[in-house]
Amino acid sequence: MFLRLLFESFRRQKRRKTLALLAVALGTSVATAMIAVGAGIGDKVSAELRSSGANLQVTPIEDTLDVNIGGVDLKPASQGAFISESDLPKMKGIFWRRNILGFAPFLTDQRTFVKDGQSFQAELIGTYFAQPLSYGNETFTTGVRSVNPWWKVEGAWPPDYRGWPQDEPAQVLMGSKLAAQYGLSAGDHLEIGARKLRVSGIVNTGGGEDLAVLAPLHVVQDITGDQNRVRRVVVSALTKPEDAFARRDPDKLSPADRDRWYCSPYANSIALQIREAIPNVRVEQIRQVEQNQGKVLSEVSGMMLLLTLAALLAAALAVSAAMAATILERRQEVGLMKSLGASNTAVATLFLTEGGLMALAGGAVGFAVGTAMAHRIGQTIFGSTISVHPVVLAVVICTALLVTFLGSAAAVRKALRFDPAVVLRGDA
Amino acid sequence: MSRFRLFLRLLVKAAWVRKDRALTALVSVGVVATMATAALTVYSDLENKLSGEFRSFGANVVITSHRGALTRAEIDQIRAVVANRGVAIPVAYAIALGPNNAKVVVGGTDLRSLRDLNAWWSIRDTNPSAGGALIGARAAEQFTPTGKAFDITFGANSLQIRPQAVYVSGLEEDDSRIYLDQAAFTALTGVDPNYALVRVEGRPTDIQHAIDQLSARLPDVEVDPVRQITETEAAVVGKTRSLVLASSAVVVILIMLSMAATFTSSVLEQRKDFAVMKALGASNRAVLFLFASEAALLALAGAVPGFLAGSGLAYWIGRVNFHAAILPQPALLIPVLVGSVVLALLASTAPLRLLDEIRPAAILRGE
Repeated sequence: MFLRLLFESFRRQKRRKTLALLAVALGTSVATAMIAVGAGIGDKVSAELRSSGANLQVTPIEDTLDVNIGGVDLKPASQGAFISESDLPKMKGIFWRRNILGFAPFLTDQRTFVKDGQSFQAELIGTYFAQPLSYGNETFTTGVRSVNPWWKVEGAWPPDYRGWPQDEPAQVLMGSKLAAQYGLSAGDHLEIGARKLRVSGIVNTGGGEDLAVLAPLHVVQDITGDQNRVRRVVVSALTKPEDAFARRDPDKLSPADRDRWYCSPYANSIALQIREAIPNVRVEQIRQVEQNQGKVLSEVSGMMLLLTLAALLAAALAVSAAMAATILERRQEVGLMKSLGASNTAVATLFLTEGGLMALAGGAVGFAVGTAMAHRIGQTIFGSTISVHPVVLAVVICTALLVTFLGSAAAVRKALRFDPAVVLRGDA
Repeated sequence: MSRFRLFLRLLVKAAWVRKDRALTALVSVGVVATMATAALTVYSDLENKLSGEFRSFGANVVITSHRGALTRAEIDQIRAVVANRGVAIPVAYAIALGPNNAKVVVGGTDLRSLRDLNAWWSIRDTNPSAGGALIGARAAEQFTPTGKAFDITFGANSLQIRPQAVYVSGLEEDDSRIYLDQAAFTALTGVDPNYALVRVEGRPTDIQHAIDQLSARLPDVEVDPVRQITETEAAVVGKTRSLVLASSAVVVILIMLSMAATFTSSVLEQRKDFAVMKALGASNRAVLFLFASEAALLALAGAVPGFLAGSGLAYWIGRVNFHAAILPQPALLIPVLVGSVVLALLASTAPLRLLDEIRPAAILRGE
């Protein structure tokens, strides 16, 4: 009898049920989309902020002071200490190796270049552009192309040679200001000592590199005779914004706290792990990038969190208003059932079961629609999809049930309070 | 009783007798108006609020003079363009010799402004009294591990450096420097500033505008945006704005539809009233007008508190998240009100067309 009542109610009141279902489905898709976007925004904005460059710098511990004015390194290559290049892939062996997004080593020297008999002095910078490397079984590609995505090249990026290239000039990039000063463009040839270079492209970085010649690291090592040496390395790591705990000195923490500190991807703990992996280096967080990114990130995610909460509340109100409206209109049915001898419990059970079924169906439809919307938002704005965690389905369905019950319960109570006789006569 | 009074009575009584129906309609309109107001208010102020955060990244434009020092007139021009939307700090650099003849880059500038500009520096005050020098962490480690005074020489001149504070920036080149007060620096080296670190505040378009103005007014010097910072700012601010816009649009449209569904079903339930009125001789137009006015009245009554609640919500989001109020936008009031009324009219009159075809007698008999 109960099932029949339930079934008939859905069969006979198609239009009314469809509208209520629509309201529930719309509410849950709002909830799904906003939860997904709100949860995914942190990673997406973090990735955007990462494009502002490296956040850790690795330098030799025994180094002399840097002599750098206006982005031009004036320290002779013969001075100071070096890091050995073969140690660098070890960074991919630390605890937070997945958070090391990339690194780029640098070796610099002031050199004299000759173009068509005219000679000029400029900084020669050796680095990785997109160097394939391997550590253990893992192979990866790293270099300035991924670490400094704001570098723009007109022409082509040079290949990363393993050493001095055989039978052909080594390809290099010219800084844009240097190129403008000496009238160089892509395809031109240069000499350095007795060796030949070919300009493959003009690079614009907005920094000191615009006044330099950029060459693959192994070419520069060959020119300066510093095999396996680099001067400094910048690392781009995915980090958790610094909080009070991150600033604690790990040596003064209790063993349990130290483990927790070590196993959180703070810039400081990743720096410590790099120090442990590579001998004789100091690792500093580049505070300009690291400190400020955390602030921007927490503001953006905080705002999305608040908007998500507001949207959830709005969706909940909309859904319970819709449920209440459908039940309030059915007072006559309630009156009829009661006058035929149905108990309050029986009537309430019927209505709440109807509401529950609608919440389940509407929740499922809403989840599908909301997921599609979150994907679409991620794809159009960030160019990568926002994934929706399956647990969101459970959360959304439970919330839909709860909200529907709350909305229905209030309305059912109200409907039950009327005297059946009054309702049936239409006086209420 | 005049027609008008009858009409008013019908309108008010309809809402009063079925208070709960009116209430659900009010709630759903109010929710839509609240969400729309809050989302649009936050969106309209977002660019300012987020751009403000990028202020702490420091200088976003560097001005370099390759023909000696920046002239007084040039510095004045820079300050005039930046005006009260940022700061411009002239800086001079020279290479001096520290103890043990180690080369060190010495900068001369206004120390107070430099510290404000580079707010991310972690500073250890060793001697906060006025005067002295700002010393990079690596330079301090090398020259004065205990914070004692030491001498630097430039040509024939020498100067005793009393460390005022030690800073850590994390960049090797920054941490290897010593900054002196401009007067002390000029006395030591005789060099005047040929760089200016400029921070232009505002939205990405404002910054670009300032850069264009600087380049136009100062043809003899180089004006370089720090692309690393300006491009990240533009990307993050732009994408966050689109995100807020897209997700608010999704929320508002879906909740609007949900509200329309509630409205429509409520009107459908009033078939009987519709039939009675028609049976009593009301024209289709009169009935439609009555239903439409009821919907419009409810929409207005829901949208006004919705607008207030939405403005409050936006203000609160600003306070909690950005530590600065997001002020209500009175200009949004009219669109929100009109939008709610139009939506309610559509949602309530569309189903009446369906009913139009049904004969009152059939409805009244319950068929």
